[in-house]
Amino acid sequence: MNAGMATIMGNRTLPRLLQTPAVVLLLAWMLVPLSMTLFFSFIRYVLNNLRKPEWTTPSIDNWRGWGNYEYVLYKAKDFWFAVENSLIIVGSIIVFTVVLGLAIAVLINRTFPGRGIVRVLLISPFFIMPAVNAVLWINMILDPVLGLNGLAIGGINNMVASLTNAPLVGWFFALWPVIEPISFRGTETSAIAVIIMVTWQWTPFAVLIFMTSLQSEDQQQKEAAILDGASAWSQFCNLTLPHLARPIAIVVMIQAIFHLSLYAEIEIVSRGNGNKNLPYLIGEFASNNIGAASATGILAVILANIVAIFLLRIVGKNLMD
Amino acid sequence: MAGLTLRNVAKNYADVNVIESIDLDIKDGEFVVFVGPSGCGKSTLLRMIAGLEDITGGTIAIGDTVVNEVAPAKRGVAMVFQTYALYPHMTVYKNMAFGLKQAKTPKDEIDKRVRAAAEILEISDLLERTPRALSGGQRQRVAIGRAIVREPSVFLFDEPLSNLDAALRVQTRIEIARLHQRLGTTMIYVTHDQVEAMTLADKIVVLRGGNIEQVGSPIELYETPDNMFVAQFIGSPKMNFFKAEDLTKKGQAMLKGDVDRLGIRPEHFTTTDVKSALVVATPDLVENLGENALVHCITEGGMEFIVKTTDLTKFKQGKKIGLTADKARVLGFNSTTQKRIG
Repeated sequence: MNAGMATIMGNRTLPRLLQTPAVVLLLAWMLVPLSMTLFFSFIRYVLNNLRKPEWTTPSIDNWRGWGNYEYVLYKAKDFWFAVENSLIIVGSIIVFTVVLGLAIAVLINRTFPGRGIVRVLLISPFFIMPAVNAVLWINMILDPVLGLNGLAIGGINNMVASLTNAPLVGWFFALWPVIEPISFRGTETSAIAVIIMVTWQWTPFAVLIFMTSLQSEDQQQKEAAILDGASAWSQFCNLTLPHLARPIAIVVMIQAIFHLSLYAEIEIVSRGNGNKNLPYLIGEFASNNIGAASATGILAVILANIVAIFLLRIVGKNLMD
Repeated sequence: MAGLTLRNVAKNYADVNVIESIDLDIKDGEFVVFVGPSGCGKSTLLRMIAGLEDITGGTIAIGDTVVNEVAPAKRGVAMVFQTYALYPHMTVYKNMAFGLKQAKTPKDEIDKRVRAAAEILEISDLLERTPRALSGGQRQRVAIGRAIVREPSVFLFDEPLSNLDAALRVQTRIEIARLHQRLGTTMIYVTHDQVEAMTLADKIVVLRGGNIEQVGSPIELYETPDNMFVAQFIGSPKMNFFKAEDLTKKGQAMLKGDVDRLGIRPEHFTTTDVKSALVVATPDLVENLGENALVHCITEGGMEFIVKTTDLTKFKQGKKIGLTADKARVLGFNSTTQKRIG
């Protein structure tokens, strides 16, 4: 840019002009879907209604005000359950993946034969598609009849049964009840199944992040701690954990973002039966009632923002240091 | 407080001998410096005393106790690391208190000791800061403070000054010397810098290739080095060795018996006329340091060597000059055994 142009256009004008297309594109990208969702959430809009066919086209004439929100918040039974369930699932997965990830990362952060292979194997669950992961777990492992779950419980029952006739100790085993395998497709247990399978899939992610960070840990600090008489546990708490604060923050934040939108696992385990989160609820509404689905979507955005603000408060402070 | 006794101490990784067999006695309250080129095993030896490396042969005793199987924290040693190794997430106070806290020392006792140590090191107003907010020299003090509060019987320093800039290094060196005077504790100090060794040590241990080359006071090593390695390692610039063809007739007359090299330190040369000289040389290059100058000269045999002088007027580039030295300062060596003769 020559001096003449600079004076004509001002110092900032040209750079701003050049940025404009990108900014406009990004704004449109965000604002168009968001405002459409907002609009749909305030009108009656359904995909199929024989009595009121005018509701099947989105139009300002079908204005419903806060009606969709009232319906979702007070009349539809699943909203608060879905919110609670979303938070429980996300929270549990985060806690389990971080604890397991830390344990495994520390365990394999030493040299042993076959370390390379072990690391690759550990990472591999992360490369499996969520739907495949869910199918594998629910059918092959957690199924109460055909899965590992059923086979193992059956095996234990058979063993106990055969031992009841043993001399001397038989009476002891005769006291044992026959154990029933847990069905993970049930109303109360399907959330647990989802937590188990997602934890299994995402622990490698935590391991991967923690492992790279562990490798940059200062060994002389550890030696100083050894000379100071710190036990392995004390070293872990006082040196390793603070060192990992940042990677832990990253793992928590990324997982919170991803797991608030879990869908495939919930669909495959129980089709939302007894285990729904907000995205699944939106999906259910969207099969006919777009208005309610949009209202739920807006509420989900608000919830995600509340979670994000909380996380950024906690995590962001960690990242800024 | 305690002395140390090392007997046949050895260290090998698989089949590599890092330290072959070391015998050494360190008296209570002595300041001992391990010095040697990199890879000589000095740090390994220090870490073995600290308990950070296994001892694969021989015994190390602190006081009367053999500590081979004693946990590092129970040996009564404290170590200052090259990188300081401060705990980055703790304040200076907590850094210094950490060891005492691990030993379950009562709170008020910890507080008393930390504040006393901070007083000695003049870091009392830094106690609430984190290491990140400290300068290199301050971190160094905190690292020393962390060692002091544990009231060890032996202090170990692993090249503690090598991360400091030149001016700070000299200052901290003096502070460590003062600290030793004040505490009177046994200190073992590892360095590759012979100036640090000379200025700090009561006793220098020169190591090479996992063996002790010589043990002695700084002045002993300077004046009567046992062999050519020690002679060259101690003193700066290093000692010059002259073969027969580099010497004058008069110089060659001093090569008697097994002596086939004459060792003369750069600072011991005096200029003289060619007839009474030990070496006749041609000045080639001058490095002027202000207080004195290093003159790089070439002998008649073609060997380059260094003369340290305060009077440059005698040296003209390319003009032959006679050099001699006090007889007592000229050391005889045998180049095959590398030993000093006489």
